[in-house]
Amino acid sequence: MSNRRSDLRRTLTGLGFLLPNILGFLAFTLVPLAMSFFIAFTDWDILRHNIFREEPLRFVGFENFTWLFTHPEFWHYLGNTFFLMLGLPFAIAGSLGAALLLTRVSRRPAALRGAMVLATLVLIGSLWVLRAGGMAEAGVWFVFGLLGATMLVGGVLTGGTIYRTLFYLPHFTAGVATFVLWKKLYNPQTGPINFALAPVLDAVAAVVQAMPRVFSVGVPLLSGVLAVLLATWQARRLRRHWDDAAAGPGAVGLGAALLVLPAGFLLHWLGLRGWLATLAAAVLAAGFTLATVRRPRPWGPVCARDAGVSAEIALGLGLVPLLLVLAAAVAHGAGLPAAVADGIEPPNWLGDYAWAKPAIMLMALWAAIGSNNMILYLAGLSNIPPELYEAADMDGASPMQRFWHITWPQLAPVTFFIFVMGVIHGLQGGFEMARIMTLGGPAGSTTTLSYFIYIEGFETGRLGYASAAAWVLFALVFVLSLLNFRFGNRNAND
Amino acid sequence: MTDPANQIQRSGPGLHTVMVVLSLLMVGPFVWMVLTSFKSFTEAADPAWMPGAFRWENYPEVFRVIPFLRFAANSLVVAGWVTLLQVFTSALAAYSFSRLEWPGRDRIFFLYLGTMMLPGLVMLIPTFQLMVRFGMVDTYLGLILPAAFSAFGTFLLRQFMLGIPRALDEAAEIDGASKWRIFWDVILPLSRPGLITLAIFTFMGNYHSFFWPLVMMKTVEKFPLPVGLMFFDSERGQATHLLMAGVTMSVVPLIIIFIFLQRQLIRGIQIGAVKG
Repeated sequence: MSNRRSDLRRTLTGLGFLLPNILGFLAFTLVPLAMSFFIAFTDWDILRHNIFREEPLRFVGFENFTWLFTHPEFWHYLGNTFFLMLGLPFAIAGSLGAALLLTRVSRRPAALRGAMVLATLVLIGSLWVLRAGGMAEAGVWFVFGLLGATMLVGGVLTGGTIYRTLFYLPHFTAGVATFVLWKKLYNPQTGPINFALAPVLDAVAAVVQAMPRVFSVGVPLLSGVLAVLLATWQARRLRRHWDDAAAGPGAVGLGAALLVLPAGFLLHWLGLRGWLATLAAAVLAAGFTLATVRRPRPWGPVCARDAGVSAEIALGLGLVPLLLVLAAAVAHGAGLPAAVADGIEPPNWLGDYAWAKPAIMLMALWAAIGSNNMILYLAGLSNIPPELYEAADMDGASPMQRFWHITWPQLAPVTFFIFVMGVIHGLQGGFEMARIMTLGGPAGSTTTLSYFIYIEGFETGRLGYASAAAWVLFALVFVLSLLNFRFGNRNAND
Repeated sequence: MTDPANQIQRSGPGLHTVMVVLSLLMVGPFVWMVLTSFKSFTEAADPAWMPGAFRWENYPEVFRVIPFLRFAANSLVVAGWVTLLQVFTSALAAYSFSRLEWPGRDRIFFLYLGTMMLPGLVMLIPTFQLMVRFGMVDTYLGLILPAAFSAFGTFLLRQFMLGIPRALDEAAEIDGASKWRIFWDVILPLSRPGLITLAIFTFMGNYHSFFWPLVMMKTVEKFPLPVGLMFFDSERGQATHLLMAGVTMSVVPLIIIFIFLQRQLIRGIQIGAVKG
């Protein structure tokens, strides 16, 4: 009896400390959640149902949802959301790359003298440029020279800490201020990006025009070879995962589908030129067969624990845009000299239907490389047992092998965490960029689900549609998280 | 760190050059921002980076055109209150979840953690409707209250508190201290690094917040900085040089905070995610 009373007492004390959170949870999570579910099935429109006109709400069943699903705009916005999420693999690669570079930088007093000499040379050089070009023309080179020299000396002195600080800076300040800043950077007439890009593109156009034959044959050929190499490499990896039982049929199937997708696009783009399409398909098929039939050389004891599946999915997703670009180069490369006959115009970035999304992804990448993800990778890298690398060195492993057989699989849990968080975040993302940089345009090309919900909920005032869309989003987040947790964190050993 | 033998080989001038170039890419947009903030109105439409002459008067101009100090004060007050409340409520909950023993504790903890997965967008519209009902639209309270509770903060502080030795609570308990006394006098002081980390995160997140103030605030005098700055980039007028001066003034304090607190922050990120 006294035991039960003390149990009760302890529970009450425990809940007492939770009280503020419980109240907050009720008021700002549970009640809104229930209301949102309710609103999604009504025809609540702020123009008809407000405090001035108390028209009764009508239950409309699934009407809001059918309206959403039958409207092409909704699918367009959903597609935009997923398109922007394609930046995630690159952000992961960037963070990992930055972390790898940072761990290589060590504190070496001996390097200081060299850095000082180099920094002095850079400074003298930029001062000379300043004197020759004048403040207005060349001042910026002086500014960058000064900054670069300071960074170099600081980087050597602090053993790389200053680089980490500077990499993290864009993420730390990311918000309305930096989005406004990038909007100005992207301005096609007055922004610095196109200002810097124009001479580069002119030079490229001149080179292409000078040697049209080389480019019309070389570009498709080189892209084709690169694409086949990449695809083969990934196919072999998939095959190895299958053999090691590191991945189930679902993951391997998905990986293979991600490889075939660009091939399909290639055939579509090649369209009319039948013989070339057949040739490309034959080469691809041969590559796949070669890559998967011959079992890749098993490599050392360290590959026993293999990469988690979600890390593999991130990798496969990252290959798709790369392969697509290469496939486009194969399909259209022959026409390159004709296309640049009048020079290359720099893109209109945020004002162009096709470029607006890549522009936003590029900015997001800038902010994401040095983000929390990089910090997590740094921690993950320092947790890898050095013995693994020592064993690999004894087997004479190349740096690439060291990375793909030790670093990448060992970091799989971190990659998994980053991937899941990135997916949850990405599905809800894009509001601020759309609101500040593009207002969702041009022609809705940067309107994501979250911006759509904002527009419906707060500008047109159709709360029913907005809530229904929010619940579709909820379902997506839920299903994707569930899939991730079910399949994403599997390792060969556990 | 991974491999001493290769490290010395690779930490040469080439590596440092790569790092400096990458750092310059990261800093480049900020350089452009600062340089543009010194331009004149006509120069701001010119793609060249350098201003003809550094116009320091752009900065006082910002204060004349928009109530910049008022906006900044709004941001600081709201973010400050949110930080204070959220750290306090999270510490309370974290204490209960990490140091107190009671039946069903861990089940409730994981349920609470699960709410982190709920997309905030789902709650957005009803929360706004609730705010309308409670008359909290266009009030600071309406900005502060919904942000005063956080499952993430609870989780982060719980991870910190789990690392504090048990013997300390037990000693205090033998001395006859109440649970509240133990929380206030023993655990809170010992969780200071965690509290500071959470405080930085919360403050930053709310200093940047744009969505919620945008829909909640109607009176211009109550706008926080991110919403207020948009006056320089609206349909009515574009003043890029003033906008950049305002953005510079809103970003520079962040950079200073960051440089001083980065060690704390990085530790906090690693404890919050890797050990969890």
